[in-house]
Amino acid sequence: MAEKPKASKSRLLENARALAPVWTLLALIAFFGVYSDSFLTLENFGNILNQVALLAIMGTGITFVLLTAQIDLSVSYMATLAGVVAAYATAAHLPQPWPIVVALLVAAFLGWISGVATAYLGIPSFMSTLAMSLIASGLSLYLTRGRILFDLPPLSKTLGSGRIFGVKWLVIVAALTLLVGHLVLKYTRFGRYVYMTGANPKAAELAGVNTRRVITWVMVIAAFTAGLAGVVGIGRLGSATPTAFDGMLIDAIGAVVLGGTSLFGGVGGIPQTVVGLLILGVLRNGLDQVSVNIYAKTLITGIILFAALVFNILFAGKKES
Amino acid sequence: MEPLLRLTQVKKRFGGIEALKGIDFDVYPGEVHALVGENGAGKSTMMKILAGVIPDYAGEMAYKGRPLRLKNPKEALDLGIAMIHQELSVMPELSVAENIFLGRQPTRGRVVDWRRMNAEARRILEALGYPQVEVERPLGDYPLGVHQLAEIARALTSGAELIIMDEPTSALSPMETERLLALVRRLAEQGKAIVYISHFLEEVTAVADRVTVLRDGEKVATLRAEETDKSELVRLMLGREAQFFERAELAPRARAGEPALELFGLSRPRAFEGVDLAIYPGEIVGLYGLIGSGHFELAETVFGLARPNAGQIRVAGKPLRGGPRRAIREGLAYVPPSRRTGLFLEKPVYQNVSLPWLDRLFGPLRELAAAREVTHQVGLRPPDPTRDVGAFSGGNQQKVAIARWLVEPPKVFLASEPTRGMDVGAKDEVLSILRRMADAGTAVLLVSSEPETILAAADRILVMAKGRIVAEYTSGEVTKEMLVHDAAGKLKKTA
Repeated sequence: MAEKPKASKSRLLENARALAPVWTLLALIAFFGVYSDSFLTLENFGNILNQVALLAIMGTGITFVLLTAQIDLSVSYMATLAGVVAAYATAAHLPQPWPIVVALLVAAFLGWISGVATAYLGIPSFMSTLAMSLIASGLSLYLTRGRILFDLPPLSKTLGSGRIFGVKWLVIVAALTLLVGHLVLKYTRFGRYVYMTGANPKAAELAGVNTRRVITWVMVIAAFTAGLAGVVGIGRLGSATPTAFDGMLIDAIGAVVLGGTSLFGGVGGIPQTVVGLLILGVLRNGLDQVSVNIYAKTLITGIILFAALVFNILFAGKKES
Repeated sequence: MEPLLRLTQVKKRFGGIEALKGIDFDVYPGEVHALVGENGAGKSTMMKILAGVIPDYAGEMAYKGRPLRLKNPKEALDLGIAMIHQELSVMPELSVAENIFLGRQPTRGRVVDWRRMNAEARRILEALGYPQVEVERPLGDYPLGVHQLAEIARALTSGAELIIMDEPTSALSPMETERLLALVRRLAEQGKAIVYISHFLEEVTAVADRVTVLRDGEKVATLRAEETDKSELVRLMLGREAQFFERAELAPRARAGEPALELFGLSRPRAFEGVDLAIYPGEIVGLYGLIGSGHFELAETVFGLARPNAGQIRVAGKPLRGGPRRAIREGLAYVPPSRRTGLFLEKPVYQNVSLPWLDRLFGPLRELAAAREVTHQVGLRPPDPTRDVGAFSGGNQQKVAIARWLVEPPKVFLASEPTRGMDVGAKDEVLSILRRMADAGTAVLLVSSEPETILAAADRILVMAKGRIVAEYTSGEVTKEMLVHDAAGKLKKTA
């Protein structure tokens, strides 16, 4: 075999790929900035952050899952369930903050079940979490009997709609979740195992990484952050309903992928997810500002997400050759 | 009688390399004509020409007396030339009968005529001497020998007159092998022409009428099988006197203390059986075998990547069970035969190196320092542990795969094909790294299908064939010829 190092061209390409979402974000900001007077204002920026905060909490966990080349399709239903459980337990006069603790534990436990089913039984994660989404959704319906619950934990109300020093608690919780996620991924052994498991599971196993345990844990983390989003989210909505966050699934996964985290694992991270969240937030918000036909909004968002997926796959396909 | 197929002065080059340098070859109806040679001798190129896979070659081919130039495998098949590959193309989920009639199921109107299909399948299998196979059952219920049978039956029902078989017995048990050889003879008696390609020379001399030996793209000889034997074939295959890298002088070594690794009757189905082995600190034991002989699987199993179904592994006297993590903790290290499975090509060198040691080595600075140290020891070029592994040449990637285990020198190092695809210089470097590890007290098991690699480095040599250790050399001169001879296997004789 010829002993020649590959040209640095591929590294340039690699960087271009890594930065593509950033250019997309800047282009969107420039575009909406030009076409709308109200877009580039501090107040509107606050709006955007507020709009993506719940997605950010959920997206943190999804980032972990995608990095191991798995997927979690149950996160939005898990959020709904956690909200319902917290409200239900509050209505049942469980002392605070136990309703929140129980809600988060229920979510984490269900995530653990999906994780074990995926990692140890070999059920593909898209299927195990799809089934789990039905279980979560079913539990939500069963607990609420279809009604709306208004008894919320006070902490949920504070974190969901309160402010401190003029900043929304919700945004702070989201930022902290992202920060903790980032620190874990970058500065712990577990974080490294997550990346390596996704990059090449066989090689990770050869190096002594317990890849099954890693996959189980990322599913727990995804369910936990989804639960957190639900517990905080009911505070923002002011009630817990049996379908409160169900619609967030595509946005939450979409944001992570838009940021550039690979669907094939091993590449990406929280900074990418932040960019992806901002792209989605700017797009949603900007489309409201410019006078686009409101019925076209979802279509446009869909097209952009699809383009990002094509991009993601094309670059991932390159590494095979 | 005229030959069914005749090649005259067939030549083929790939770029600058002449794979076939003018081959004459023929096979008659009712004859088994075996084709033997080392890897790279030109067997597969010739086979691909016969089967229509390679259409552009120089020279003539004649089939049933008429000149023929095959453009694609389909054309070959239509003319009655069928090829049975080493990797079988069967569908284990489908029934035996469906596999036999794959793509050509007898139909009534537009629906499959199951009754007729099953009946015909039964008839064929009976004619082939396998009346006990139930054709309605999924093929996957049967052992590999029956899969092979289904492919042969498929070739026959499609009207094949010439059947090319590539290493048909490499995955078969001794009993299945015997039955297959009997089947091949029966096919010949029924007038079929068989081209039989195999590394297992005793099978070749047992089953073939004639044997053609290829070496470096040339035909060395065509012999009558009853007039030759395994030793002569090995000599013809290897040709010239053994060169310095094709022989080794083993000196018995004084063994220090207890064995670092012991295997007692280790078995894994379809891989190896009843392997006993002891390796001592400081020695390099070469484990040679043909691809498919079970030697790679043995190393993999010892490292905990697969579970043995019988036997015991002991490291420094202590029984070892469990996965790779446990194995690493007990002082084992392993390099897999393929770089792709062992390395993270898109991650920097230092992360590849540090992964097994993160318990005590986490943090970019410490990891980098350790990676610098060990990549220096193996002579990584360029010596930059922050570059992605994928940006290095193949030889240097392999150095990374080895360097990882120098962070904490292992008790036992299982190195599968550590020099595959390397040039001579890189090869020497890697083998001298293994020697240094051994000198520092590691017991090295060097697993390879390249006799040269084994001879260049081993203190002691074991040969594996069909899942068993068939020979051991501890002292005196060993040549490539001897290793190839052992690996070419013995045919189990039964009354």
